[in-house]
Amino acid sequence: MKRQCLCKWNMSSKNWKNAISELLTEFSFKTTTENLLQTALETRELADPTIIHEDIAIPHCRSILVDDFMIIIGKSNSGIPWPKEKVKVIILFITPVKPSGPSEHMELIKHLAKALRSGGAEKILSAESSAEAASILKLSYEEKPEND
Amino acid sequence: MIRELEKLISLHDLDIMISDLVNKDIIKQEKKLGLSPDLAAVKLRKMRDKLFLTIDRKHRDLYDQLAGHYGNAVVPVINLLCSGCFTQLPTAFCASPDRNDQVETCPSCGRFIYWCD
Repeated sequence: MKRQCLCKWNMSSKNWKNAISELLTEFSFKTTTENLLQTALETRELADPTIIHEDIAIPHCRSILVDDFMIIIGKSNSGIPWPKEKVKVIILFITPVKPSGPSEHMELIKHLAKALRSGGAEKILSAESSAEAASILKLSYEEKPEND
Repeated sequence: MIRELEKLISLHDLDIMISDLVNKDIIKQEKKLGLSPDLAAVKLRKMRDKLFLTIDRKHRDLYDQLAGHYGNAVVPVINLLCSGCFTQLPTAFCASPDRNDQVETCPSCGRFIYWCD
């Protein structure tokens, strides 16, 4: 089954913390949940920035605050310092904590690693639309409704 | 939500992150992506210890006991059920509008509980 993702094109953030916030906002979490997820993702980045390829970062965590996979692809034309090297594509994902353990989280990492190998990373950097970026990662693209 | 409860949730999420980064299969996949899970795990443990010390002693002692016993010490309440032991919580217990403004535990399993807002 293809996992769904959201996309945020033309991100306006000028630093990595704001970029995480800008992407989390797209999920329309309640304030407390969003703040706690922001903290978790920031903590992971502070431990070791998740830059996986020149120009691509994958902030991620597992959390008890979500009950389904939350995946969003962000793109910035000017690049966002992460915190030193600039990244242009951000693939943020949060996976739920399930009694079965981290197997689904691992499967998603494996899926992304596979999709980004063999030219996938270069393709996503040059993707011109949300649908194209989602397709490169073999995810199904979910357009965010105009009014929630 | 009361700050103490937020810290307990963050502590739980940090423990999950650390446990993921010592999982052999996840380490293998993260390394394939070019990440450094070993380094991240070491730094996250330091951050975890720092956060742990800011939590009230009685809560952190209980957290350790619960995490050791069940594997998860903090769980959300979903449809009036503790999602740790699936026991229905008393209605009166759930009725308070400021229910996340105090640290509560499940009357059945003792896990820390919070309500999804």
